[in-house]
Amino acid sequence: MYSAKIDEALGKAGAAPGDRISVTKEGERTEGILMPRSSLGDRDCLVVKLNNGYNVGMDFANAKVELVSKAKPAAHKAGGEVAMEKGLPNISILGCGGTIASKVDYKIGAVFPATSPDELLASFPGLKGIANFKAKVLFTLLSGDMAPAHWQVIAKEVAKEIEAGADGVILMHGTDTMGYTAAALSFMLKDLPVPVVMVGAQRSSDRGSSDNSMNLVCAAIAAKSDIAEVMVCMHGSTNDDYCLLHPGTKVRKLHASRRDAFKSVNAKPFAKVDYAAKKLELLRNDFRKKDKKRKLALDEKMNANVGLIYVHPGMKPEFVKKLGEVYEGIVLAGTGLGHIPTNPHGDKLAKPVIDAVKELIAKGIPVAMAPQTLYGRVNMNVYAYGIAGKEAGVIGDYCDWLPETAMVKLMWVLGHTKEMKRVKEEMERNVAGEISDRSVLLE
Amino acid sequence: MKCGIEIHQRLDSLKLFCRCPSVIHEDKGQGEVVRRLHPVASELGEVDIAAQFEYLKGKEYHYHTYDESTCLMETDEEPPHPLNNNALAIALEIALMLNSKPVDELQIMRKTVVDGSNTSGFQRTSLLARGGFVETSKGKVGIQGICLEEESSGIVSGEEAGKVYYKLDRLGIPLVEIATAPDMVDAEHVKETAEKIGAILRATGKVLRGIGTIRQDVNVSVEGGARVEIKGAQELAALPKIVEAEVKRQEKLIAIREELKERKAKLGDAKLVDVSGIFSKTQAKIVRKTLDGGGAVVAVKLNGYAGILGTELYPNRRFGTEMSDYAKSAASVGGVIHSDEDLKKYSFSDEETSAVKKKLGVSESDAFVMVAAKKDIAERALIAAFARAKDATGNLHEEVRKVLPDGVSTAYMRPMPGAARLYPETDIAPVRITKEMIAEARKKLPEMPEVKLAKLKKTLSEELAEKMMKSRNLQLFEKLVGMGIEPSLAATTLEETVVSLRREGVAVEDIREEKIVELFGEFAKGGFAKAAVPEVLKLLAKKPKAKVSALVAEGGLAKLSGKELEAAVEKELASVPDKKKAVGAVMAKLRLRADPEEVIGIIRKKA
Repeated sequence: MYSAKIDEALGKAGAAPGDRISVTKEGERTEGILMPRSSLGDRDCLVVKLNNGYNVGMDFANAKVELVSKAKPAAHKAGGEVAMEKGLPNISILGCGGTIASKVDYKIGAVFPATSPDELLASFPGLKGIANFKAKVLFTLLSGDMAPAHWQVIAKEVAKEIEAGADGVILMHGTDTMGYTAAALSFMLKDLPVPVVMVGAQRSSDRGSSDNSMNLVCAAIAAKSDIAEVMVCMHGSTNDDYCLLHPGTKVRKLHASRRDAFKSVNAKPFAKVDYAAKKLELLRNDFRKKDKKRKLALDEKMNANVGLIYVHPGMKPEFVKKLGEVYEGIVLAGTGLGHIPTNPHGDKLAKPVIDAVKELIAKGIPVAMAPQTLYGRVNMNVYAYGIAGKEAGVIGDYCDWLPETAMVKLMWVLGHTKEMKRVKEEMERNVAGEISDRSVLLE
Repeated sequence: MKCGIEIHQRLDSLKLFCRCPSVIHEDKGQGEVVRRLHPVASELGEVDIAAQFEYLKGKEYHYHTYDESTCLMETDEEPPHPLNNNALAIALEIALMLNSKPVDELQIMRKTVVDGSNTSGFQRTSLLARGGFVETSKGKVGIQGICLEEESSGIVSGEEAGKVYYKLDRLGIPLVEIATAPDMVDAEHVKETAEKIGAILRATGKVLRGIGTIRQDVNVSVEGGARVEIKGAQELAALPKIVEAEVKRQEKLIAIREELKERKAKLGDAKLVDVSGIFSKTQAKIVRKTLDGGGAVVAVKLNGYAGILGTELYPNRRFGTEMSDYAKSAASVGGVIHSDEDLKKYSFSDEETSAVKKKLGVSESDAFVMVAAKKDIAERALIAAFARAKDATGNLHEEVRKVLPDGVSTAYMRPMPGAARLYPETDIAPVRITKEMIAEARKKLPEMPEVKLAKLKKTLSEELAEKMMKSRNLQLFEKLVGMGIEPSLAATTLEETVVSLRREGVAVEDIREEKIVELFGEFAKGGFAKAAVPEVLKLLAKKPKAKVSALVAEGGLAKLSGKELEAAVEKELASVPDKKKAVGAVMAKLRLRADPEEVIGIIRKKA
């Protein structure tokens, strides 16, 4: 994105990024490759890659640009299949965006997704010998842009792969919203016969330190395991030693950048995969065992009009009321045990929102509660404002779910019924491991 | 001969892309992070991912972390913070002092590094300025470019069983890299140029000092040879010898090429032969251990190479050693065994040696190379060694070499990196270098070393001034003088007293700079006499963390003055019969506790 002035001059010179150009300024001539301009920095500076490999920004004022030679079009060969090895399980890899499996054009720094099995195996030699892989790209987008409609496409595509006989499915996914997608798939893919493993990377794939390779190899080991669940496979620690397989409804990204950002909340991971030994060690036994004869029930109906709102001091009742104009269901991430401001003591400075919540429910908009503490269980029986919420009809008493999981679940439930009583029943019934009976002492 | 140098200097500022202090520690830190690397485009641009994968497989990099000076940035767990503006300002000053022209906009790049020295797998670097020159006695030496980049991690010890240890405190310290044009005319000129640039860097007063804070790489090529970059020269004084040794090495390699041409020796494809069977009953320890561990001995014949492998390139380093270096770099092997060596030193029997020769079909004029290791590793190593031998008939290799512990000879490290190893760092916005920034840097420019030297000569002896100018202590000296300490006392203490104390075995290296500042602060307050400075230093060396004032009191070195001194002088005078020798006698007793002028004054008053 150069300034209009530069674009015009480049157009006149017939030069485009990748071409060899010369820039003459104050009598000095510099030759190099014209680079594309990132959206950051000064748009009036030309970026030129010098012969020594360094890029420099050159102020365009008083500069004369000439084309030296056009770039040779990059030979981007289409990928192909890889011969199947007998005796190995068949695993389908679906690309849902993110940059876990991308190739870098080191010349201009652009990133292309790897799309075919041979490209995948070429980029990740560690996959060889674990399984036979099939690969397909569903979309290329950053996971922050993913919407409930994408979850439905993914669920259908996973179902197709399983019906076609896959022994396991790996979903390569951006990490920002991987937890949401994992929860959605957990509800949509009922009676799953084989493992569905979501995997991503916290470090970009151009670098030797990227966690993509280890995460993907561990995901492949998970995908051929006996754990027929939707799970997230990511680094278990900051070291490159093992990955953890987190339950899809209980996993949350808890760090903005670390490799081990993903944690199981209020639950134990299913298993640990040792990268060097390529061994899976079970940490639990209460999972659905793989059984290829079991018939998958795809149930991807959704109502995306659900909002997840953070309760906070100073929350405005007017805002809560307005939510009813936009959403058909609300999840509140409440304080403590699942609280909203109710002002039972009649404090002068306090502003309760309970009446606004009551109003929403009266309008037929279900309101569910989840703990913003993430860890722990909603209990609306201990404090007055909890009791007030419960009496108002807030859903979710005794639920130890994550706010995001509760939100995804409400979308899914509302995709099936809008009847308040049934919504409440369905929401408070454990469907896919999102609510546990016991609060086990974890470390 | 063509020769250029690259100088790397750490800047005295916070780290380049996080706000950690640039502090190096002696210990192993408070934590450890273990990582592996996976294949990416290599330093040559073209990637043989499969080969790289094999090489990196099972290799672990262990990083020591430090609460004080490492954070998520050094552990590659967080995107970079914005570029440290203070470091940029220092680098700009340096660029201007070297007559180099800053770029309009700084573009941060990633330089691929796959030896584990950067947790990210690349080094962040940027070209800050282009062109420029430095004046030397043999004419102007051109500057090609000045880069501002992050320092790598410090390696702790060599590789052991696939594990490499690094300290993360060093990673990310701002570094300027100054690359000169190949304008140096001889080995001595290399040293002079490095010294000149070093003096300019120190003149800014904003660079780190101490071991490892400045490093110089040398680029050498001879007529008909190839450009070779030599890393790891510890001292400037060693540069001429290193350059001369490299010139000789290249000349010898050219001679080997001519010799092979004359012999019409030409190698085809490598025919690797498994000769393990010959050694089933061997006494040779290395081979025994390999075979018992399920490994193999693989050998290859080199047609017409007899004697070539034993050709000395410089003392104790033969052409066979070069081949061995290539083998080691291609696969984790200890080295190669070749026919120009005394094979008895490995305890091979004559029968075994002849059996190998027979099996390979080696005649008088041929040579052979063997490697004992796991079979696939041995083969990979042998192919690399063979390729090196084969290349001896062609152009010399452009490569990066490292200085060996003898400080003169070098060993192969890796091929010369290409431009493709650099690609944009997309996590950091480019930095516009404005006219205002340049004007600001120009305003702050320190005196050029020549000017500074002339000034030093006004307060110090010629010799001491020259010494001070070249010294790592120049900044400290200026600080002390700034505190009001007499220049000659400060210079003598830093350049002479400390050195002679070290010779006496006093552990002066344990005394940190701020303690020296504290010492002179005490002195300036009249805490102790000038003559006691060496004594206080001695005490400080024993207890480097103690308060100087406490040490002075403890050591009975507190300065006497006024009534106290008068009393002490009177007491000493009483025991001196010859009044003519009074001053000498009293000073002999009170030397460390009083200033001579004061003592003389008192004695005169009494007389």
